[in-house]
Amino acid sequence: MNFKHKYMFLLPGLLVLLGILIFPIGFTVRLSLSSWDSFFPGLDFIGLENYVRLFTDDARFWESFQRLSFLSITTVFLQYILGFSLALMVWKDIVFQRFFRVLFLIPMMTTPVIMTVIWKTVFHESLGPVNDFFSLFGMTPLWLSSEGLSKVTVIIVEVWQWTPFMFLLLLAGLLSLPKEPFLAASIDGAGPIRKFVYVTFPLMAPISIGAIIIRLIEASKIMDTVYVLTSGGPGTSSETSSFYIFIKGLREFQFGYSAALSLTYLIIMIISLTVIAKMLVKLMIRS
Amino acid sequence: MAQIKLQNIAHSYNANAKDKKYALKPFDMTWVDGGRYAILGPSGCGKSTMLNIMSGIVTPSEGRLLFDGVDVTEKTTSERNIAQVFQFPVIYGTMTVHDNLAFPLVCRGYDKSFIKAKVSEVAEALSLESFLTQSARKLTADQKQLISLGRGLVRDNVAAVLMDEPLTVIDPDLKFRLRRKLKEINQKYKSTLIYVTHDQNEAMTFAENIIVMDDGEIVQIGSPAELFDRPKTTFVGYFIGAPAMNFFGCEAINSNVINFNGTEIATTTDLSGVKNKDLKLGIRSEYIQFSDSIGENTILASIQSVDDWGNHKLVTADFDGNIIKIKVKRETEVPTDKVFLTLPAQHCCIYNNEILL
Repeated sequence: MNFKHKYMFLLPGLLVLLGILIFPIGFTVRLSLSSWDSFFPGLDFIGLENYVRLFTDDARFWESFQRLSFLSITTVFLQYILGFSLALMVWKDIVFQRFFRVLFLIPMMTTPVIMTVIWKTVFHESLGPVNDFFSLFGMTPLWLSSEGLSKVTVIIVEVWQWTPFMFLLLLAGLLSLPKEPFLAASIDGAGPIRKFVYVTFPLMAPISIGAIIIRLIEASKIMDTVYVLTSGGPGTSSETSSFYIFIKGLREFQFGYSAALSLTYLIIMIISLTVIAKMLVKLMIRS
Repeated sequence: MAQIKLQNIAHSYNANAKDKKYALKPFDMTWVDGGRYAILGPSGCGKSTMLNIMSGIVTPSEGRLLFDGVDVTEKTTSERNIAQVFQFPVIYGTMTVHDNLAFPLVCRGYDKSFIKAKVSEVAEALSLESFLTQSARKLTADQKQLISLGRGLVRDNVAAVLMDEPLTVIDPDLKFRLRRKLKEINQKYKSTLIYVTHDQNEAMTFAENIIVMDDGEIVQIGSPAELFDRPKTTFVGYFIGAPAMNFFGCEAINSNVINFNGTEIATTTDLSGVKNKDLKLGIRSEYIQFSDSIGENTILASIQSVDDWGNHKLVTADFDGNIIKIKVKRETEVPTDKVFLTLPAQHCCIYNNEILL
């Protein structure tokens, strides 16, 4: 039989794929080999000049990348610890279980940008309630304009916003676990700590890895929180890769160079997330 | 090890409701120390509920549970000193086989030399000694199930080892080996083994005593031979044996003779006190014999079909609308049309209201 008409049915999907994925990637590759900016717009060809500049003459990008690695790993680690603790808390039958389950999800339901504006007000160094509290002890920490504390503020806001997502994934995982291993551990005489170490945690390892990877991908794109809270400042002390690419592309209009930055960032992320996933599997499942 | 006594035990999952429904109807039972039991019944008959009551996973809504005379009804699972093997192997995947077997002793704070000696002893009994340093996760399903069992055996004075359909995930040839291993373990450690299954072959080949359950109650307790030869109810007759027992309507004529479709059949059952004429005759297909001519307890039936079951043949015959199944040896010549069938008196079971007389 002739099945040539099958291509007709595949065509809409292929066109969408081409339009939203393949063409943009191809165009970005081509753009990264050009010097397109606001002064000389156009797809000229300058070879690997942008990449040479990136690897030899752009310490700011690599600093922002280091900062991103620190921020994303720290926030995701804290989100995992807190999310797992909250999930364990409402997993068992406790009073107001449903109330707590909904309560813990509220931050995730809010709009990130608006919540960041509120957090900015909360951490405002002269008007915010946080420093009202600290002033009772004679302290006025510079939450938004100190090099170190601005990162801490970004971490606090990110953890507050995204811990519920981790909580939700881990609670779903806990609720899907079989009962028998826990019963067997009770019969063997294991207490709560041994049950967690030898039963709950190993059984949750595959779900934990999935949740951590999803959050790492999301956290590595961190942009809105930094944009609203500190605008990358003071100086560049809280600037992340995506924010730096945004500055180069949409503030300085260096499209060609920002395309080279984006592609480099994409490749580094693919490699590092693959390595992290493998490490997590080795650490949490195989060991 | 202990004698386990269930005193007027019953369980309902909606105990406070007006129309409460029993998952397990009230009953009394004593499990003899060191016995090998199987609880057999269809899905939903209450066998797992009974097991979970003994292990402490379920607290019965009525009655008391005594271990060597001590009331443990309200005690937790870990306080009962009981071992349980589940349908799917439960192992600690992050531990070695040795650490898995040692785990119940480590949790109870035994010293290292005792743990080492006990683990070696149990590993040897279960043929796991060559895997002790391996990760438990890498073993096969039957080996994992042996580890589950081993964790129960390392503890001294376990009241009973409870097994809830433990061979479900095991390959058929391994099932046979594992059942034999369980019997050896029972003989070596003299531990009470209670085995829940819905597979009659498993129950028959494993247990000294089988508890047949239906709809939340114990229907019969007996040895495999007793259940096969003298099923107490028609349910047991249907449930045990392949094919199920033959049952036909009949009526009593005198103290030990019944009328089966116009033919007088002698039985060894005393029917003198039976008022109900509407009885049932039950006979196993294995006990019906081919005859050359008409005689005592003989009927003339017409052959309907012959099925080859490998080591024997299953003959289906019709006797005035009554379908009779007869199991004969493979080499037996089966007539093509009519056949005389003898129903031996000692194997004819008579049922009044579905209960054996």
